[in-house]
Amino acid sequence: MTSTTGQDSVPFAYSAGRFARDVRRLLSARTLIVAGCVLVVGFLAIVPLFYLVRDTFTGPGGFTLGAFSRAYGGHSQAGEMLGNSLAFAVGAALLALVIGTVLAYLQVRTDTPFKGLFFAASLVPLIIPAILYAAAWIFLADPDIGLLNAALKPIFGHGVLNVFSLWGMMWVQGLHLAPIAFLLMVAAFRAMDPSLEESGLMSGASRATVLRRITVPLMRPALVSAVLLMFVQSLESFEVPGLLGLQNGTYVFTSRIYFVLRSYPIDYGSAGAYAIGLLVIAAVGVLVSGWLSRNTKGFQTISGKGFRPRPIELGRARPWVGSVIILYFAVTVILPLGVLVYTSLLGFYTAPSKAAIRSMSLANYREALHLPLAATALKNSIVLGIAAATVVMFITAVVSWVIVRTKAPGRRALDLLAFSPIVIPGLVLGLALSFVYLRSPLPIYGTLWILLLSYSTRYLPYGMRYATSAMTQLSAELEESAHVCGASWWQTFRRVLLPLTSGGIVAGWIYILVVSFRELSSTILLYSPGKEVLSVLIWEQFEDGKFTLLAAIGVLMVAILVVLVLVAYRIGAGVGLKSDD
Amino acid sequence: MRTRTCTSRRGLPTTRHSRPLAVALAAALTLAGCGGSVTSGTGAGDDSQARADQKVYDRLGALTGPDRRAQLAKEAKKEGQLTLYTSFTDDVASDVVAAFTKQFGVKVNLFRGNSETVLQRVLQETGAGKTGNDIVETNFAEMATIAQKGLTAPFKGPVLDNVQPTGKFDGWTATRFNIMLPAWNTKVIKPGQEPKSWEDLADPRFKGKLTMELSDDDWYENVTKYWLSHGKTQAQVDALWKQIAGNAKVVKGHTVMGQLLSAGQTGADAMNYSYLVQQDIDKGAPVAFRGADHVAHTPAFPRPNGVGMMRDARHPAAAILFYDWLLSDGQKVLVKDGLTPSTKVPGDHSLDGVTLVPYDVKGLVADEKTWSDKYDALLRGVQQVKGGS
Repeated sequence: MTSTTGQDSVPFAYSAGRFARDVRRLLSARTLIVAGCVLVVGFLAIVPLFYLVRDTFTGPGGFTLGAFSRAYGGHSQAGEMLGNSLAFAVGAALLALVIGTVLAYLQVRTDTPFKGLFFAASLVPLIIPAILYAAAWIFLADPDIGLLNAALKPIFGHGVLNVFSLWGMMWVQGLHLAPIAFLLMVAAFRAMDPSLEESGLMSGASRATVLRRITVPLMRPALVSAVLLMFVQSLESFEVPGLLGLQNGTYVFTSRIYFVLRSYPIDYGSAGAYAIGLLVIAAVGVLVSGWLSRNTKGFQTISGKGFRPRPIELGRARPWVGSVIILYFAVTVILPLGVLVYTSLLGFYTAPSKAAIRSMSLANYREALHLPLAATALKNSIVLGIAAATVVMFITAVVSWVIVRTKAPGRRALDLLAFSPIVIPGLVLGLALSFVYLRSPLPIYGTLWILLLSYSTRYLPYGMRYATSAMTQLSAELEESAHVCGASWWQTFRRVLLPLTSGGIVAGWIYILVVSFRELSSTILLYSPGKEVLSVLIWEQFEDGKFTLLAAIGVLMVAILVVLVLVAYRIGAGVGLKSDD
Repeated sequence: MRTRTCTSRRGLPTTRHSRPLAVALAAALTLAGCGGSVTSGTGAGDDSQARADQKVYDRLGALTGPDRRAQLAKEAKKEGQLTLYTSFTDDVASDVVAAFTKQFGVKVNLFRGNSETVLQRVLQETGAGKTGNDIVETNFAEMATIAQKGLTAPFKGPVLDNVQPTGKFDGWTATRFNIMLPAWNTKVIKPGQEPKSWEDLADPRFKGKLTMELSDDDWYENVTKYWLSHGKTQAQVDALWKQIAGNAKVVKGHTVMGQLLSAGQTGADAMNYSYLVQQDIDKGAPVAFRGADHVAHTPAFPRPNGVGMMRDARHPAAAILFYDWLLSDGQKVLVKDGLTPSTKVPGDHSLDGVTLVPYDVKGLVADEKTWSDKYDALLRGVQQVKGGS
């Protein structure tokens, strides 16, 4: 990550005039905003990290590594667990990356048909809570009762698809994660000047060569960001390994964390030791991704030169591409959502039959709308989701500017720090926050503010990846011209940086809005009576065994979020890069 | 952030932020580090507050006779509200709160979480000297922990006479029992083939059809102790568990287990709570925990879940009233919602055809960690560690 300025600071003698100027500059908007954002990121990330490290490395007699031997030693089968975790996370991340990138490319750069479907295909899996998404896939691809297996039986025989396998886990997780890659890559492709590809074609390179030598290399920062996010998120996700992996004895890190966190007295040390194991893997990931994205200038495709992204004509391939998209849409959206809609109309889940169809009713929807807390929870979720998405994207836009654009020492540490919350188990985060704010004079315990704080912390890493990959594509010369023309830093940030990175910023904003609707693990400890949110409501129905009611709530949530996101896209389309489509 | 800057930039909008960055991080670290231990939850609250509550508790607890309830209701009404932390499921909690408020006009602030969350919240708040609730109602292990730490006040009152002796503890009282029994799908498991004892679960006919839950270590402890006290050797017990685990897949969550069982995706649950199975039966699912003869032949362990009132409660009169009510009129609400009450309630059929054997409270309070580790190892197929118990 080299800075684009040619000058280095020179040692100088301190004079009164300079001092005055320095003080003025120190109090300038830029310094205040940057320092404020860095401070906030540091604070958000360090609080849980501090408790994690302390609980892991201290015991009754001071410093100890006992937690690590409890977590990884003896009969813990740590090697197998690590192998499973890595295989699962790599497989899911790669699948999601391929799907997300191909879709994003088709959406942004080609004249593919069915562009409207991309929108739904990219969001619906994100909105459906993982527990429902995994359950839907059980009902589809269980070797014995799966609907798909029943359909395929005449051709392939009994149980050709088995969702209870490592492959099944990667498949479900990969499909569920693909939207992250899609959102990131759409933003990256939007910000890429196609003239680079066109020059390649003019010079006689084949389309494949252009893709391999120009397009993919230019997309590297976004690709790396996406892989890193999805890899680490798979490592720390619990729903898919919990529902699909345990059945055949595939244990991963998070099954272990879950286990040590649920017994009393809670062995925070062991949980911390696992979390630190994840942190080390994530840290390696951040360093590798930093190394892969070195030489920032090579990726800067938004420069002073004007460009208008223009779609490539698919020509004869168009119908084929169209059918692939329909197929993808069917597999990731229609099938799982169909199972959910079907389930939501039943009293209890049963395979489709005449009796089942006769018993269908809208009772679950009536019940969902009449839940006493439904209105409160919906309002709180919307407020929190919008607030968390806005706060995180603003802060990370500033901080990613510091990381990408400046030479500030410690910026790599800052990057890593901002990434660390991704591995902190939600319960540990909840405990750390409640501990701090029960003792802090700041009266936010028991209010929505503490939830906002928790969400901002949890989604900081995601915001950082979206903002950083957008910022990396932006050439410094635009800021420089703004500055030369007399714009202040704040004006430049507001009028140049934000609009030009808006693709990434809006994508990150949407992602955070959507996932904050389902955050549960820290919420459950921090919410207070009257401050319920939708995820708490969902969890309650889940605990009560009301799967069919849950499916109805899931369907309603998909509807609400699709509307919210549609509005966000409309607003987002008003700023930033225009394309011809 | 009033640090003397040491950078000099001219012209371009890039800068060095070494000092501000470092100072910001240091400041954040200081802010973060200013607390004590997040995990140490002691019961020490504000002493004067505690004593005041104790006086109310003593005065009202000593009430007897027919106007006891009326007196409690009057004082509770004066306090106006009650904060309840509970792991009741949502529908039960709503019914309980509605019935209580309707009867006494006292508003209830409800916090629902699973038992671990309820425990963590109580420990966090009392540890900080800011007790947020008046009443806690949750599972056995968590109640035992809360009471052991001295966070609850002792309760006296004639309603205790209705509670079975196995439901009375220091600092808390059982309100309901979770009945632990095997359950099965009647379409997958043919009549007569269902498990009739815990040993049956080891039978090869359940190979690949059985499901075990990730966190059922208390069940594991109870069955183990039951077998050992009924003439089996440790080696026989170990062999049985190995076979059972060999027959089984593992699932997280009793609810999920119930759903998969209802859908016929699994054949039998090694153990599920009878009220959850009953809920599915009531919805028409083809599942059962009693045989065709309406008898559950497997001996059932009743796990007590219960209620305690906080020593530092802000609404002590309302707390006593709720405690009193939950062990009398409130029991009917629990029965209506299909739970097994801790007192005799007319119209309760949850124990029909069920043979109860004692649930090992003592062993679990003393040594839960060991058992949860052993159960975890069993599920992962780790070779059983010799020794222990």
